[in-house]
Amino acid sequence: MRQTAATRATLIACQLLLAAFVLLPFFWMISVSLKPATEPFAIPARLWPEDPTLANYVTAFRPEFRTYFLNSVIVSGASVAITVSLGLLAAYSFTRGQLLAVTALMSAVVLAQMFPHSAIIIPIYRMMRAADLLNTYTSLIAAYVSVTLPVAIWMLRGFLMKLPVSLEEAAAIDGAGPLRIFWDVVVPLARPGVIATAVYVLIVTWQEFLFALSFTSTREMRTLPVGLNDFIGQYGIRYGELMASSVMVSVPVIAVFFVLQRYFVAGLTAGAVKG
Amino acid sequence: MMAAVELRDLHKTFGAYTALERLNLEIEDGEFLVLLGPSGCGKSTTMRLIAGLEEPSSGDILIGGKRVNDTPPRDRDLAMVFQNYALYPHMTVAENIGYPLKVARVPRTARADRVRAAAAKVEMAHLLDRRPGELSGGQRQRVALARAIVRTPRLFLMDEPLSNLDAKLRTVMRAELRHLQKELATTTIYVTHDQVEAMTLADRIVILNDARIQQIGTPKEVYERPANTFVAGFIGGPPMTLIPGTVTADRFTHETGALDLPGQPDGPAIIGARPEDIRVTAPGAGDLDGTVFSSELLGDATLLTVRVGPALVAVKVGPDDGRDMDAPVGLSLDRAKLHVFDGQTGQRRD
Repeated sequence: MRQTAATRATLIACQLLLAAFVLLPFFWMISVSLKPATEPFAIPARLWPEDPTLANYVTAFRPEFRTYFLNSVIVSGASVAITVSLGLLAAYSFTRGQLLAVTALMSAVVLAQMFPHSAIIIPIYRMMRAADLLNTYTSLIAAYVSVTLPVAIWMLRGFLMKLPVSLEEAAAIDGAGPLRIFWDVVVPLARPGVIATAVYVLIVTWQEFLFALSFTSTREMRTLPVGLNDFIGQYGIRYGELMASSVMVSVPVIAVFFVLQRYFVAGLTAGAVKG
Repeated sequence: MMAAVELRDLHKTFGAYTALERLNLEIEDGEFLVLLGPSGCGKSTTMRLIAGLEEPSSGDILIGGKRVNDTPPRDRDLAMVFQNYALYPHMTVAENIGYPLKVARVPRTARADRVRAAAAKVEMAHLLDRRPGELSGGQRQRVALARAIVRTPRLFLMDEPLSNLDAKLRTVMRAELRHLQKELATTTIYVTHDQVEAMTLADRIVILNDARIQQIGTPKEVYERPANTFVAGFIGGPPMTLIPGTVTADRFTHETGALDLPGQPDGPAIIGARPEDIRVTAPGAGDLDGTVFSSELLGDATLLTVRVGPALVAVKVGPDDGRDMDAPVGLSLDRAKLHVFDGQTGQRRD
């Protein structure tokens, strides 16, 4: 489609506006995190601190933060690994399996992702209590896997359906059994999908608050989103430190996203079959 | 290793659609057999059944005398070249060619030697570190071929392996394939819809249409004695001209004329003549009269298309015998090489 200069300028202006709208809260978060304790409420409000300081970061990076961070890494990391592994196996059987029940099962998967967290948190809480798993990593990981798995299956299935079946047939003829085909051919080719799904699970679990708050009762088990709550006290909110912590919480996810975003674009199947 | 293949009453349906109807076929050890037919005739289904990628609805598949219906593809000891090559995009050329050996747990050094040997056979030894995405269509095709020959299977299956190549490369690869197959002496089943490919490659051709075998024979046999009007029209380029009419008292009458046809029973009949078996005469002096529709110089010959009544008749003449468009001409059919088919069934009469 040919674009005139005017259309292009309008499009770019719209995109910039949208970007500004989306990025403003992030900018504000960074700005507040760099302001001295008195400045967030200064009138007139400043977009950028007059005298930027890293003092908030120093205070925010206390031992508890490190514990929360480690807990988040363990819980999110395990959730990503388990969800993606189970999701890939399930998605593969939903894609290539010849079960008559595939459609029904897939509908169940879609249905499962429609329940809001708040609707399932009480039954899951009771199950965890009954299993004596409250205030453990296991409780959070199990809950996270159960809420992210349906979407993960759905995403991975979309990727797998695009893989040419002839590659798996070629491997079968080359002597490979089903598991070998899955490992040698399907898994490497599904890598962009696996990474995209992993990033999705990471984002969801890294920022999850409700389960983390409900299932953990001690500081030693808290994750970062719940930890941020520490700065919200009965008599006031320590905005500078809260925002500094928020920046530190966001950075890993943003970094992962930037490093891996090429996988969303690059098609690994290029050259596999004549297109 | 003996690898004769036998198909007994092989039948395949997909839901209500019959892809293959009670096919019986014997393929000899070392033979180059081509399955030829238009799209949807069942040729690829036959190959996929032999490979084990589809299960027959009924009937038996025997390889080397052993029934393999329930044997998974990996245990049938065959190699297949896919129409779209099906190279593993995440592996290098060397890894692609070596994959069957890796699966078979051939030690690394032996594997490397055999990969190099197979790559050298298809002149790809200098590109072993490339990935399929960095290769041209012809090169990918060669890699697919090398992957097939690297482990000397007892049976090669090739599913239109040349159809994605340009015309020039296809001619070169055709000759190489034929040479390679004779050198390796491995039983080969080759699927194509290109009759030139079938004629040039095959020891025997099986012509399929509508899920059924129409004729089995050597290229010479199917060309010279087509079993029915389908085969007559399918084999040969340009195809045989078929003229429907009626035989009455040793004379064949058709829409635009008549000719003597001794020894044929009375009733509807179809006569056929190859382009090279028709001579151009003065108008009124031949068996048919028409006007020149087009005249194409092919280099070593000229292809005249003559409009006779509603039909177009292809005639091959010398390179200097081209005619002007709309020029009136007569056509004389070589009686000795005339093909006669039943008017109702389309089956060959003699």
